Amino acid sequence: MNLENDLKRALRAESPAPGFASRVMERIEREQTRKPHRWWRAVAASLTLTAVLGGWAAHQVHQRREGERAKEQVLLALRIAGEKVRYAQTEVRDIGSHD
Amino acid sequence: MRKVLIAVALMLALAVPASAQKLNLDFPELAERADEVVDVTLDATMLKLAAKFFSGRDPDERAIRDMINGLQGIYVRSYEFKSAGAYDARLIDRVKSQLGPNWKPLVTVRSRTKDNVNIMADLRGENIVGLVIIAAEPREFTVVNIVGNIDIDRLAQLQGEFGIPRIMKDKDDDDE
Repeated sequence: MNLENDLKRALRAESPAPGFASRVMERIEREQTRKPHRWWRAVAASLTLTAVLGGWAAHQVHQRREGERAKEQVLLALRIAGEKVRYAQTEVRDIGSHD
Repeated sequence: MRKVLIAVALMLALAVPASAQKLNLDFPELAERADEVVDVTLDATMLKLAAKFFSGRDPDERAIRDMINGLQGIYVRSYEFKSAGAYDARLIDRVKSQLGPNWKPLVTVRSRTKDNVNIMADLRGENIVGLVIIAAEPREFTVVNIVGNIDIDRLAQLQGEFGIPRIMKDKDDDDE
């Protein structure tokens, strides 16, 4: 019997506190206005990330090109320098062998 | 304060001879008249960048990488002319006049028909910290300035080895 009474008491219909409906409606409105902000933030973050990654990739390509060019220049410079030094050494050796 | 001043003075004293090694190799009058021009300007930053592109696995490339790691600059100017006597031979003196008291002639080759080569080194103790090569032929004038520690014998070995490509001179007309 007690159990039945307890259940009835627990499940009886109760009116919500005054202002409950308006609080719920306010909350729903707040959530709806917040959602578009989140969406724009996500788009802005994606665009920023794309720009940063794109810039970084472009910088890497530029660096690679510059590096390859610098390498070619080093090889050319060392070849010219080596050629002249070797020529001078050969001439000196030839003079030495004539003496 | 005194320590700071001493440190600054030391830094200046070290910086002056290091910067003095780089020569003025601008010969605009030659560039205008030359048939072919080679202009290589590699400062420390460019050399550092280039070094990254030499493979550490390939022994030839590693040797070049090790060589350029000790350098602060490589500057080459080479001018080839259609006819002989197109440049003033006093240019050699103009380059030599820029060299300080540490610079000593290593090799001087004089020839009527082939290259006249002057090799001078900036000697600090037993170390060569700078090198200038002036090669004057009847139809060609070349100056090479290497700034930094350089092994001259190793440099001579580079010619025709280490996969160093044939000289490809830029046509002056192409640059314009």
